[in-house]
Amino acid sequence: MTRYELPAVVVEHRLRATNQYELILHAPPIAERATPGQFVMLRPLRTHAPLWRRPYSILRANPDKGVFSVFYSVQSAFTELLSLKPIGSTVQTLGPLGSYFVPVRAARRHILVAGGVGAPPLCFFAARLAPTLHANEQLMILVGARRRDLLVGVDEFRALGATVRVATDDGSHGYQGSVTDLLQHALEEPIESAVYACGPNRMLQGVAQACLARGTPCQVSLDAPMPCGIGVCLGCAVKVVAPNGGVWYKRACVEGPVFWAEEVVWE
Amino acid sequence: MTPDLRVSLGRLQLRNPVMVAAGTFGYGLEYREWVDLARLGAVVTKSLTLVPRVGNPPPRVAETPAGMLHAIGLHNDGVDAFVMETLPLLRELGATVIASIAGETLDEYVQITTTLSGAPGIAALELNLACPCQPSRGQEWDTHPELTAQAVAAVRQATDLPLIAKLSPCSNDLTELAYAAVEAGTDILCLINPPRGVAVDPQRQRFRLASKVGNLSGPAIKPIAQYHLWRVRQSLPDIPLIGVGGISSTEDAIEFLLLGAHAVQVGTANYVQPTLATEIIHGLRDYLSAHGLPSVESIRGIVE
Repeated sequence: MTRYELPAVVVEHRLRATNQYELILHAPPIAERATPGQFVMLRPLRTHAPLWRRPYSILRANPDKGVFSVFYSVQSAFTELLSLKPIGSTVQTLGPLGSYFVPVRAARRHILVAGGVGAPPLCFFAARLAPTLHANEQLMILVGARRRDLLVGVDEFRALGATVRVATDDGSHGYQGSVTDLLQHALEEPIESAVYACGPNRMLQGVAQACLARGTPCQVSLDAPMPCGIGVCLGCAVKVVAPNGGVWYKRACVEGPVFWAEEVVWE
Repeated sequence: MTPDLRVSLGRLQLRNPVMVAAGTFGYGLEYREWVDLARLGAVVTKSLTLVPRVGNPPPRVAETPAGMLHAIGLHNDGVDAFVMETLPLLRELGATVIASIAGETLDEYVQITTTLSGAPGIAALELNLACPCQPSRGQEWDTHPELTAQAVAAVRQATDLPLIAKLSPCSNDLTELAYAAVEAGTDILCLINPPRGVAVDPQRQRFRLASKVGNLSGPAIKPIAQYHLWRVRQSLPDIPLIGVGGISSTEDAIEFLLLGAHAVQVGTANYVQPTLATEIIHGLRDYLSAHGLPSVESIRGIVE
């Protein structure tokens, strides 16, 4: 897998919702090779604090224009620095990195489950998947967040012609409850499904258990603290089932972030 | 005239004084896309153990102000796999290889050393004397001078390779550990192995690391590393020293050299800037040229 370490040029900070932005970066090699589920590591300035780069899932990529984008909300010193990068300045970028979502071609219904800021890689996946679907394949997208204003990607998902169902913890939009409840309902319908999910790890555990109980193929994109992004530091270890039935660790940055649900040891 | 970057640490000759630190550069191969390993002073491998280790449960890392706390638990493929699979590739790439080794017992240190001494292409051994941050497993060799001396002496008897003892400031007095390591036969001292620390998550009301205790590295520890290097330099002026701890720029590296280091290691900064060690080599050459100095050795220890 080819990956690049380069200064990407800031094209735009596009306001998406209160305090939430799509950062569009010009970096043709990354835009060309980015696959849904993959991420980049960003470093806006040579700072010591914050020290680490941060991983960002790729939200969309346009190889023709040489641009890709990531989603961020301003909520930390790091994201504040990122938000202050002027148009035309550069952000040191490493990517594209990690594993990606693989469409399960035997499925008749592809269910994407997005929790909060876990939506961006699924926006990218949905955009690439939708045009490839046959007439007998459905695309369903379940989007959840704590509140209405924290929902990400709902309009984009609708624009793809997908069936979109929304859940909020406080009931301010759609179903009041968790997105996992919506998934439980969807899986009860008699159609062969495959599930692709990204969100908080606790949500993913619920998604994985619902799928494993029914034998539904399920891929999850896991979050982990990630100092290097290239498999060196071994900081982003994820506990998985070893071939011999025991447990060992894989790296969220190289073997992940997308894992098959049955592989992960949920704790 | 181009300044001479070559340095001698006793029997260990390096093409320049800039190495990459154990555990921060994998086995070196992971960085070959961005870094010409043959240009580095040396590649210090991640610590090798006698048998493969799966490492600690996650979370293993936490970011702290200007630093990071880590407890990886010596996750590695073991010394045999390193010798069979990795070392030949490093040699092909022209890297000067220093193997970092970690033992839970003296016998393990000896066995690892014997294996590596029989393999061609190892320039030196670096003893990781810190605990694997797993309280139930492993001796903390750098908490007491007697333990440090035992580990160094055991390895010394098993090899003729140059030995580097890497010490952490977790004991009351690192200088005592340094004396003990030198008495026991180390050729070189490497200062410092990261100090221990903890980090707490106030929201979840628990430790940030699964193993609770970790090692603190990054720019935050640079003044601590420089303090210990300077003190040991005063006590043991004839022992070659390697400075490590928080180096993130050419200036940082020069500071260690001015304080008496013969060479330096770039550590945590590799994670955020894979090309940093190479940049420091260029930066050092430029610095010496700008000051009209003939060699790295001409700035060593001039800040007393």
